[in-house]
Formats: sequence, structure tokens, C-alpha cells
Amino acid sequence: MHLVPLLLYAAAAAAYVAHFAWRDPRVGRMATALMAGGVFAHTFLIGMQTVQAGHAPLVGTSAAISAFVWLLGLSYLYIELSSDERSMGVFVAVLMVLLDVIPALDTAVAPRPPVLQSPLFTVHVMSLLFAYASFALACVLGVTYALLFKEIKAKQLGVFYTRLPSLASLDLMNGRAITVGWAFLTLGVLVGGIWLWQVKGSSDPRVQAMSLADPKILVALVSWGLYSFALFARKAIGWSGRRAAYLSGIAFAIVLLNFVLVGYFLTASHNF
Amino acid sequence: MNTWVMRLFAVGLSHRTAPVELRESVDFSRKGLDVALAELASRGIGRELVVLSTCNRAEIYAVGDSDETADHIGRFFSEYHEIAHAEVSNHLYVHRGPDVARHLFRVAAGLDSLVVGEPQILGQVKAAYAAASDGQFTAALTNRLFHSAFSVGKRVRSETGLGEGAVSVSYAAIALAKKIFGDLKDRAVLILGAGEMAKLTGIHLQSQHVRQTTIASRTLQTAQNLAERLDGVAVAWDRVDAALTTADIVVTATGASEPVLTPARVDEAMRSRRHRPLFIIDIAVPRDVDPEVGSLDQVFLYNIDDLRAIVQENLARRGGELARAEAIVDEEVAKYAAWMQSREIVPTVVALRQRFEAIRRAELQRLEPKLAGLPPEARTRIDEITRLIVEKLLLTPTEQLKSVSDEAMIVAYADALNRLFRLPQDKDGAVASEEESEVSS
Repeated sequence: MHLVPLLLYAAAAAAYVAHFAWRDPRVGRMATALMAGGVFAHTFLIGMQTVQAGHAPLVGTSAAISAFVWLLGLSYLYIELSSDERSMGVFVAVLMVLLDVIPALDTAVAPRPPVLQSPLFTVHVMSLLFAYASFALACVLGVTYALLFKEIKAKQLGVFYTRLPSLASLDLMNGRAITVGWAFLTLGVLVGGIWLWQVKGSSDPRVQAMSLADPKILVALVSWGLYSFALFARKAIGWSGRRAAYLSGIAFAIVLLNFVLVGYFLTASHNF
Repeated sequence: MNTWVMRLFAVGLSHRTAPVELRESVDFSRKGLDVALAELASRGIGRELVVLSTCNRAEIYAVGDSDETADHIGRFFSEYHEIAHAEVSNHLYVHRGPDVARHLFRVAAGLDSLVVGEPQILGQVKAAYAAASDGQFTAALTNRLFHSAFSVGKRVRSETGLGEGAVSVSYAAIALAKKIFGDLKDRAVLILGAGEMAKLTGIHLQSQHVRQTTIASRTLQTAQNLAERLDGVAVAWDRVDAALTTADIVVTATGASEPVLTPARVDEAMRSRRHRPLFIIDIAVPRDVDPEVGSLDQVFLYNIDDLRAIVQENLARRGGELARAEAIVDEEVAKYAAWMQSREIVPTVVALRQRFEAIRRAELQRLEPKLAGLPPEARTRIDEITRLIVEKLLLTPTEQLKSVSDEAMIVAYADALNRLFRLPQDKDGAVASEEESEVSS
């Protein structure tokens, strides 16, 4: 069942690549339609899982990645339809396909341990996932900014020059994505803290392991620090443009690392 | 022979055949296209008419009944503009039938333009058609012809790179500026130098509605003169550093023999402008900006040679897209030609339907005495039933006939039908087009 959205995302990615290469508007519209179809199928899938399990499928890293891919797809579609700008799709769709392979291989909905039966848990996970989706978009915007910047600077006007929007608009969208992402990251971390304080007495060993020494929590705070700096640097010391682009790329690499690698292998506290 | 090949004409002249003085003297848009169209119509030249007049071409598209239509249009050029016919006639070209479609499609796609691929022409073709259609000078043939031309123009633009890339230095600079800053409305421009090149570039940037234009020159007076022309402000030469911190786009075109903008000077400005991007266009020869400035962070430096290289590359790329654009034109001409061919059968179809209807009427007439006793309701019913039978009988043949697009087959079918039903001979196209709405419904 999880294969349907994955296959639609893959088809959308292929169409975005073809659109990027040959710029046939019909292929572009097809790419958008496939992407929308994938998100729709994914919505249906998540809805089914929710009904089946009696709770939102947010427990466990695979389920979280699935929800992340879904949010990323939704946010991207919103940006594409509101800005009428398709060139970013090729990057976003490829990232979505790569990530969605994980939940497609690991489809079981994990049962929800009693300690997670709090609305705060859902808010915590959803706002962090939304923050990550915004950071993913910021990262794509940053990467494309850097590519376009390089072309213009080197006076080699080529692939990206003819396809991407202006540096100014890439930078503007990057700034917005980071602001939105930062707000949700802050909310997610705060809610996580409040939830931890509430369940402090729980005997669950994973709750016991929650401390700054746990890599998942540590890296989350590090990325919060990085994005706070990115925000501050843009507003206060004029770090826009290329520096902001690089920063959003590096910071998202850390987020992704934390989300996938640490989630599966390293954390002792967040392996629900 | 009375094929459509003889009926569709385009007569005109363009930058390819006529010098600019002549093109200027036959400009139809001066007195208004509607006036020219009305004049053409009042002389009975052509049943459908469109006049296309731009600074590079003047063309009349017409549907006429005989080949003389072309001559009449040719003479109209000289008579309407009151110039000797000999002066014009050598520069006129005449297209007939499918060549009209090919010519117009190439024009609409920008393939026949002075700067190949320029986008304005499509809008001009649309305006020409709109003027003709508003005055009701167009009908089936020209409607289809021009709508096909619009779609060719659109397809060439979206499916090929023909219209892409700036092909003049000024436009290349503006395209780059837009790629860096997006909309130029909120951007400030600083021009160093007040010579001819500075003025030209300034005018181009001004047309982008930049927020502010500042001009600095070694002599304040010349800067002030240019500032007046560009609706900008002049600043003294020693205020350039301050101006650098607020400008987004800097154009340098001074006659200085040493670089005016050194890395140290620009670096200083970048710091106080908090590294907001700066686009420097150096169009001076010798150069006004030290090439090292281009390696500063957030500074984009293009000199006149860089811009020329971009233009050359764009021109070369357009050349490569030509074949693809011509292929689109070929495809659409074939479609239009097939449609026109299939219309050849229309007079036969009309004649056939008229024949059937005549028989029906005649029979009803003949039976009139017997029907006279019936109540009006029944009589109406009989009329309706007989009409429906005729309709049903003709439905399939009509559809089949209209789907034939091969000329030889059309002639064969027409001949067979004429013989089988003894249809009246040589129905002219004029009759056909009047009846057309009935047939095509």
C-alpha cells in the first residue's frame, strides 16, 4: 500500500527532471499532477493508518519519515502553486523519493506506548516535522541559490540561469522558509520539554534516558542554535544571499542526519 | 479550377524586400487599420481581409474570388498611399494558398523578423486580426488562419528556445540584473560617466522603472544634463563612495584611462552596504573597473566583452532552434492545408443537401391536395418526419465527405455525387461560405 505514493512520487520526480531538462510545459503540468496525486494517495494512506491504529502514525522513525515526506510534499505544492515556479520540484521530488523508500520498506504501524498518549506528543512531533519540511525547502532554495550564484559570478550562464528564478526571490523564499521552520522548531522543542516534565515519573527506560547527553536531543538543540544564528545573522549582520544559502544547506544536513541516522541507530531516548 | 489555392492571398512587403523609406510610406497603421480595411472593402477587394502593419512590414491578407485579387491588392498599396505603382510593385511579394499560411505562421513565430525570434510580432499579428475581426472583415478562412498562427507563435515560444536570451548588449545587461535582483522596481542605479554609452544604458534601465538613478561625472554639469534627461539626480565626483553604498546596479562608462573602481574601494563600499549584492556593468573601453573587483563576495562584474559574448551565444543558440521552429510551422501548415482541402467538398455537400430538401418540398407540394384535409397538427408532424428522414439519410454521407482531406479523392467524390444526383454544376465558393454555418452545425 505504501508503494502507491512512492511510485507516484518517483513518477513525479522523473517528470520534474524531464521538465527541468526540456522545459515542456505539458510535462511540467504532468509533474505537478503526479506530485499532487502522490500527496493525495499519501494522505489517504496516513488516514487509513490512523483509523486502523486509533492514533496518528507518528510513533517510530519510519512513520515519522513518512509523515515528513507527506508534509514536505504538501508545503512544496503550496509554494509551487502560489509562486507558479516549478524549477525547484526536481530537487524536492528527488529528496522525497529517497526518504520515502524507508517507510515503504518498513510499513508496520508501531503500537503507541502508554507514555506517548498525550496530545503534547502529537504537537511535538507534528511541529518538528513541519519545521524539518520547511528546512528541507530552505535547503533546496539554498542549494539552487548557490548554483545560480556560481553561474552568474563565473559568467557561465547555462542550465540554472535559464531555469531558476532570480537570486533575490530565492533568497527571499529561503529567509521565509527558515523563519517558519525556526518558529515550529522552537515550538516543537518547547512542547517536548513540557511533555518530558509531565512524564518525568514514568518508569519507561527511554524517558529515563532523556537528557542533553542523548544524541537526538543534543543534535536537535544544536540545529536550533544553528537556525537561530541563521535568523539572527540575516537580520542583524546582513548574512543574506550566499552565506544564508550555505548555512541552510549545512543546517539541513545536520537535521537530516539527526532525523534518519541518529533516529535509527544512536538514540537511547527517542526510539519509540 | 476553383480550388482554395486560388482564393487565399497575402500581398505585402517587409524588411526583406523593401528599404525603410518605402516601408515608412506604406504604413497602414498611420491612418488606422480600420480605415484601410474599410477602403479595401469598399473597393470590393476580397471577401475576408486582414491588414498587418508594423515598422518592418505591411501586408494584406485576403480571400478573393480570382487571381486578380492579388493584383488589386498590389495596386491598392500604391493608390491608398498615393505613390507611383512602379515604386512599390518591385518590392511586393505575393503568396497564395498554403504559402499564405506558411508565411503568416513564420511571421507570427518571429522567424521572418529582423531579429529572429523577437516576441513583439505575435502581439502585432493579434492586434491586426483583432482590428479586422472587430470590423467584421474576417470569416471562416481568415479566422482559422489567424488562430492557427497564434498557436504557432505560442508553440514556438514554449517548445523551442527561439525567443530566449537577450540579443543586444543592453538587454543582456538588464536580463542579468533581473536574474540577480528580480524586479528592478525597487533598485537604485548609479551611472558613472555621462557620455553616449552611459545615456543609452541609462535609458534602458529607466524603462525598467528603477527606483532611483544617480549620475556622477567628473564635471558636474554634464552629470546634471544627463540626470535631467533620465529623471535622476547628479552627484559630485567625490561623492561616488557614498553613492556606491546605496546603489544596486552600477554602470561605468567614463573615459578614464585608469580603473575608477579598485578592489579596495569596492570592498570598502561592500562593507558599509552589509554585503548586499552589487551588480557592476563596465561598458567603458578601456575598462573602468579593475577585474579583481569581480572576485569580491556578492559582487557581480560584467564588462562589455562579457555582455557581447552572452549576446553571441544567444544568437548562436537561436540559430540552433530555427530547425525546430520551422518543423512546428510545417506541421501547422499541413494541418491548415488539410482543413482547407476538406472544405473543398463543402459546395458539393451544400448542393447535395439542397437537392434532397428540394425533393422533399416538391413531394409535399405534390401531396398537398391529399393532406389538405388533415388537422394542422398532423401536417406539422408530417413535415417534421420527412425532414428527419432526409436528415438521417444525409448524416453519414455528410460526415464521411467532410472527413476527406485528399484533393484527388475530393474531386472524385464531388464528380460522383454530381453525376449520381445531377447536382447543379459549378457552385461557387461564395455560395458555400454563406451556407457554411448550416453545413457545419
